Amino acid sequence: MLDRDLVEEVLRAARRKGGDVAEVFVEERSSTSIRLDDGTIEELTTGLDRGAGVRVTLGTTYGYAYSNRLDRDALLAAAEAASAALRGDAPGAIVDLTERTGPGTNRAERPADGLPAADKVRWLREVDEVARGISPEVVQVTGIYMDSAQRRLIAASDGRWIDELRPRIRLVAQVVAKRGDVIQTGWDGPAACAGVEFLDAHPPRVTAERAASRAVTMLDSIPAPAGEMPVVVANGCGGVLFHEAVGHPLEADAVDKEASVYRGLVGTRCASELIDGVDDATIPNGWGSFDFDDEGEPGQRTVLFTQGVLQGFLQDRMLAAKMGVAPTGNARRESYAHPPIVRMTNTNILPGREDPEEIVRSTERGIYVRGLGGGQVNPATGDFVFGVSEGYLIEGGAVTTPVRGANLIGRAIEVMSSVDAVGSDFETWEGVCGKDGQGAPVGSGSPTLRIGRITVGGTGA
Amino acid sequence: MPELRELVQAAVGASQAAEQVEAYAEESRHTEVKALRGEVEGMTFAESRGVGVRLIRDGRLGYAWAADPSLAEVAETVARARDNAALAEPDEHNALPEAEAATPLPELFDASSAATPVEEKVRLALELERYAVSRDPRVSKLDLAQVGDAVGSVAIASTTGVDAEYARTDAWVVVVTLAVSGEETQTGFSYAIERGLDRLAWQPIADEAVDRGVQMLGAVKPSTAKLPVILDPFAASNFLGVLAGTLNAENVLKGRSLFAGMTGTAVGSEVVTLVDDGRRPDGPGSCPFDDEGVPSGRIELLSSGTLTGFLHDTYTARRTGGSQRSTGNAKRAGYRSTPGVGTSNFYFEPGTPSFDELLTKAEGGVLIMDVAGVHSGANPISGEFSVGATGRRIAGGALGEPLREMTIASTLPEMLRSVDAVGNDLRFFSSVGTPSLLIGEMTLAGV
Repeated sequence: MLDRDLVEEVLRAARRKGGDVAEVFVEERSSTSIRLDDGTIEELTTGLDRGAGVRVTLGTTYGYAYSNRLDRDALLAAAEAASAALRGDAPGAIVDLTERTGPGTNRAERPADGLPAADKVRWLREVDEVARGISPEVVQVTGIYMDSAQRRLIAASDGRWIDELRPRIRLVAQVVAKRGDVIQTGWDGPAACAGVEFLDAHPPRVTAERAASRAVTMLDSIPAPAGEMPVVVANGCGGVLFHEAVGHPLEADAVDKEASVYRGLVGTRCASELIDGVDDATIPNGWGSFDFDDEGEPGQRTVLFTQGVLQGFLQDRMLAAKMGVAPTGNARRESYAHPPIVRMTNTNILPGREDPEEIVRSTERGIYVRGLGGGQVNPATGDFVFGVSEGYLIEGGAVTTPVRGANLIGRAIEVMSSVDAVGSDFETWEGVCGKDGQGAPVGSGSPTLRIGRITVGGTGA
Repeated sequence: MPELRELVQAAVGASQAAEQVEAYAEESRHTEVKALRGEVEGMTFAESRGVGVRLIRDGRLGYAWAADPSLAEVAETVARARDNAALAEPDEHNALPEAEAATPLPELFDASSAATPVEEKVRLALELERYAVSRDPRVSKLDLAQVGDAVGSVAIASTTGVDAEYARTDAWVVVVTLAVSGEETQTGFSYAIERGLDRLAWQPIADEAVDRGVQMLGAVKPSTAKLPVILDPFAASNFLGVLAGTLNAENVLKGRSLFAGMTGTAVGSEVVTLVDDGRRPDGPGSCPFDDEGVPSGRIELLSSGTLTGFLHDTYTARRTGGSQRSTGNAKRAGYRSTPGVGTSNFYFEPGTPSFDELLTKAEGGVLIMDVAGVHSGANPISGEFSVGATGRRIAGGALGEPLREMTIASTLPEMLRSVDAVGNDLRFFSSVGTPSLLIGEMTLAGV
């Protein structure tokens, strides 16, 4: 995207006052998004984005500047601005830039940008048709198709030069169902770092059916009970909970600021011994996967918990150096307009041995959670909350009436320690995680889990 | 480098017969400095510009955008928007607004803030951090101390005669404290946004963040009960985004609003008046015209509890028909997105009682100081919500025991109907604002 001489010149300018590492991140991203709403294709947008960010680090402090102009003057001005806050004085050296290549984690067999937009429009029409066919109570369908190809170049003063292409594809169905005054919604949105072959495995028809069935099912829901009770979390959903409640406090920036409940707990048991958890950027075509992270560290599989014992934190280069451990390849950024920060990739609870049906059968009374609408955690206190988008009562060991308006609230360590059953049925869920004003595509996954005791917020008896 | 005006005019110039073309260009420069442990933790400096083109042909709408385009690339962007329009379905309501002059709001641009050197922002961030950790022995660390500012301008031009431009500045401060006592840590958040850096009263913000953290130390989980509740402005502001969705005409037209068809009826208590006003000089969301060039104005959505209208852009107004006009509420996330209905300064009109007077009215209840998970725990279509909350007990007209790990649950209509009093302490958080709200009864779930 840029020639080496220019990149070297920019890196040299960025190290004019020294610092530990100077780094240039250049990005070109083409994207297509199509939206079907109210039965018609409302919008078809194509975009072309490009820009570059320059970062200079010293210890755990950094200066970052970006521009969406890629000419020499703009890049040198960014280098100047990024180094302005640095207190050093002697210029630093630039090691010869050497290309590193990765294993091709996110290879697209059939890149989406090679497909005519008319074909993509057809998938959305199918979503509309199938969802409306599920029930006459389906009153509104929104289908969203997105693909993008992000090419990025990372070059740093320690000699790394990485040029990686990340293809993304996602198809989302949102359905509204109505009966009398009751309105409910359903959602499904599989996603991957892949080409259009991904939609062979996750056909638009299935996405539409799932979203519509959820909305229609929830029409029968009663207000959720409130209070403490056992909760069985279906496969896939537990990963979202693990990401939010546990993963965020394990990010090294929270730990470094003494704003993590897990600080000082490496090597100790802080989850049920049934819990084995990892953060894994190497899953082929995973929504949160990559060859190299956004500082140019190789993506890796990082073990977080072994039988409930905390193994370590998620690191970027600066914090790993400060803590005296190896980086884990968890530095990510939304785009060239953002400095890299510590983020998760695909965060999973690994499957256990129990039969998921037996887990429900052995639960006398509680809530069965099939869909979580996302959540929020305070890493410093471990307090978290999740909205339940699809939930049911468990009565006498059976899943019965759907419930609405429920949420789960608790503290990370207590809740993870009270997991008393882990199923064998692993499933994934893809989302976009927000932190420090940056969105990052993340994967999560889990088998069916039972939390022995957790507070359910609801309005019912 | 072409001026924004040249870019948008170039797009209009590339239009063909029988089509409407609109170009929206923006550029911005923003700086953010974070301080930690007496040092600059990080500094980000950014410049960006771009153009988005909306093209309507035979009722079909296409959109394309480009970052920092040359004049030639603007013409290519128009061509891509044309290709995209060909694949969209015709909708007779797709149209650009006719030109209408907007009264300028020159006070949105603070020249001295725009000219502030980076060194001054660094100094401010360091001073902010130093001050915040010096106020209380239990707060010696921060999670975040940030000072930021943005200087931006927008230009819009269209084949229907829109030709508008304005500039703005914004400056903000964010503080998150860590209050520690023994093994326990609690966090305290505060935030302010002003027109310019020299108007940022950052000391009271730091004091408030310290206080909000320290107050939560020793928090316990309450038992489940139905109680009177006060939502302070921090907590109440979280619900305004969801409420805005229910008053968005697009959601109304598409059967996604619980308020559809209820204009003229009482949907809230008589003390509730809800407004969107794009021209408040102190409003973070103010702008002379919206993101398709329609002048901003003031609209009451709820007047003393009665639903009086919805937020509209040009498309929803045309589709609604009759005498409905755009309310100047077309908003976009930036040049990369098409305009849709959004808010400018969206807020509850303040009432007369002070916060202390609200406390005496909520005897035996709970003050909610923060809620978590509204984006996932509230259903914008049904209005049901159940969210995590922290706060304090109210006893004898004063604040008592701090509470955590609880949830509050209700529905938006139920909450609006049970507002017993609105405080006089209106405060803006980005484009939404609210005073404290006293809610007669809410379900609070804990043990």
